Amino acid sequence: MSLVSFNFLIFVAAVFAVYYICPVRIRQYVLVPANIVFCCFAGIYTFAFVLLSIVTTFIGGLLTGRKDAKPAAKNTVAAVVIIFNFALLCAVKFYGVMGMVEEQLNALLGASSGSWLAFAVPLGMSFYTLQLIGYVLDCLWGKTEPEKNFIKYFIFGSYFPYLTSGPMNRYDVLSAEIAREHRLSLANIRTGIIRICWGFFKKLIIAERAGVIVNAVYGDHGIYTGGYVVLGVFAFAIQLYADFSGCMDVVIGVSQLLDIRMPENFNSPYFARSIREYWRRWHITLGDYLADYLYYPLLKSAPLVKIGDVSKKALGKKKGKKVPIYVAMIILWTAIGYWHGGLWKYIIGSGLLHCFYIVSGMIAEPLFEKIRPVLKSDKLPYKLFQVLRTFVLVLLGFVFFRAADVPDAVRMLGAVFAAPAGEAAIGLGMADYIVLGVALLILTAVDLYKFRPKDTDEPRSVIKLTEGRPVLTWLVIVFLVASVLVWGMYGLGYNASSFIYASI
Amino acid sequence: MTREEIYVKLNEVFQDVFDDEDIVVNDDTTADDIEDWDSLEHINLIVAVERAFGIKFSMGETTSMKNVGAMVDIISERI
Repeated sequence: MSLVSFNFLIFVAAVFAVYYICPVRIRQYVLVPANIVFCCFAGIYTFAFVLLSIVTTFIGGLLTGRKDAKPAAKNTVAAVVIIFNFALLCAVKFYGVMGMVEEQLNALLGASSGSWLAFAVPLGMSFYTLQLIGYVLDCLWGKTEPEKNFIKYFIFGSYFPYLTSGPMNRYDVLSAEIAREHRLSLANIRTGIIRICWGFFKKLIIAERAGVIVNAVYGDHGIYTGGYVVLGVFAFAIQLYADFSGCMDVVIGVSQLLDIRMPENFNSPYFARSIREYWRRWHITLGDYLADYLYYPLLKSAPLVKIGDVSKKALGKKKGKKVPIYVAMIILWTAIGYWHGGLWKYIIGSGLLHCFYIVSGMIAEPLFEKIRPVLKSDKLPYKLFQVLRTFVLVLLGFVFFRAADVPDAVRMLGAVFAAPAGEAAIGLGMADYIVLGVALLILTAVDLYKFRPKDTDEPRSVIKLTEGRPVLTWLVIVFLVASVLVWGMYGLGYNASSFIYASI
Repeated sequence: MTREEIYVKLNEVFQDVFDDEDIVVNDDTTADDIEDWDSLEHINLIVAVERAFGIKFSMGETTSMKNVGAMVDIISERI
């Protein structure tokens, strides 16, 4: 079930009604049938996969969290559970993407029809798998007490709003959040509804429209050359951001209706002044997750500490201590790229290219330190230049991400400099361009309002402006709903049924 | 080792890792207070502290210490 669909809204309304009709004490347990029904909409096999991961990680948590067990035994259990779940993830997601494993897995699972994979993949297996593996590691590292109540763990592991697209949650935070008392409040309803409408606005008005340009340009850059390529590449950045962050707005808004707080996943990412800052503002929970569960453990591992010792001796302390960081970065970014789809275009576009940006920036840092005073780096023009430069570097990565494959991305970049092949039709009318332009201005204004120069500062909330102002609240909701109804692209010929991140 | 003695040794580790002789840490010091203490340098610091005191931090402790005070609490438990 897509998060931007009428069916989903009806589903949420039904869950909301039952949730608040039930007494406070048992409210959280309404999520058990809700999560099961949501999973089953995606197919019974999908539910089976989710359940399998939940059961194995639940047992894994109990065993790895035992105080009296030997460390070696706990490590072995954790490794077995993690490998099992990753194998499941790899089999369904990546080999499924390449169309190589469907038959074998069907035979293995005794499935009669060949269609289960098509249902299982859009559920974005990796979000919940990573979250569940994070729980096992938390138990292993003594960061959290193992959950003994399977029902509570099931609610955490299969919590329906986050299941398809994140954000990535930590067990101790989300389980405590679900377990506390939830009461019906006007503030939650107001914030939740505005947030959901804003998500629909971004997805159906901006992302779907930008998608028409993207599909045309990426579909045939023999015809679309020069400025069209630039337009297409820019449109994809808009499409992906509006799509993914719109999805997060819906997830966070639905959770808000249930009085459950979810972590934010975006913080005005296109205003970042460096690639490192960009990744602290884009898909924030994935970055935090990988830092805690992959990057830090790698850096703290004996081989990398050893590499650090050797490199410090060879290159001196200052340069040498950076070497293990570079090695860990290459592994981390390859993993991030692989997570996005297991194809080279993702490994480069979403991984190694960004790794190259960051590592080369770190290597060149002494040079930057010298020229910074000359460039007046604390002044606004230079800061604007940094924002633009970072955005262009991000766009370059997106070309690989969206193109059919790596050679196609290279051809696409070459087409920027090719001679124009004359007028080409994009498939959007003038009215569509105006709607897209105005909607984009609204999105930019909202992001600018939220933006704080320091990425660790809490962003300003636009929705808070409606607090204590019922007329303004209704105006905002009516504007968003009417805009979506009038200008949303969901009619025949458009497929707004899935979010980009939920379907890859 | 008293808390004061731990701090004497810990200050040396911080000064060495961040190449700054003037760094003096206390219970409330966090990554925000030291310019170069970012996510990239954090593990360098943790490994250096582990070596100086001959202890090991678990991964959970490595990523969840709120401030230097929390680090000193763990050190004083282990030595």
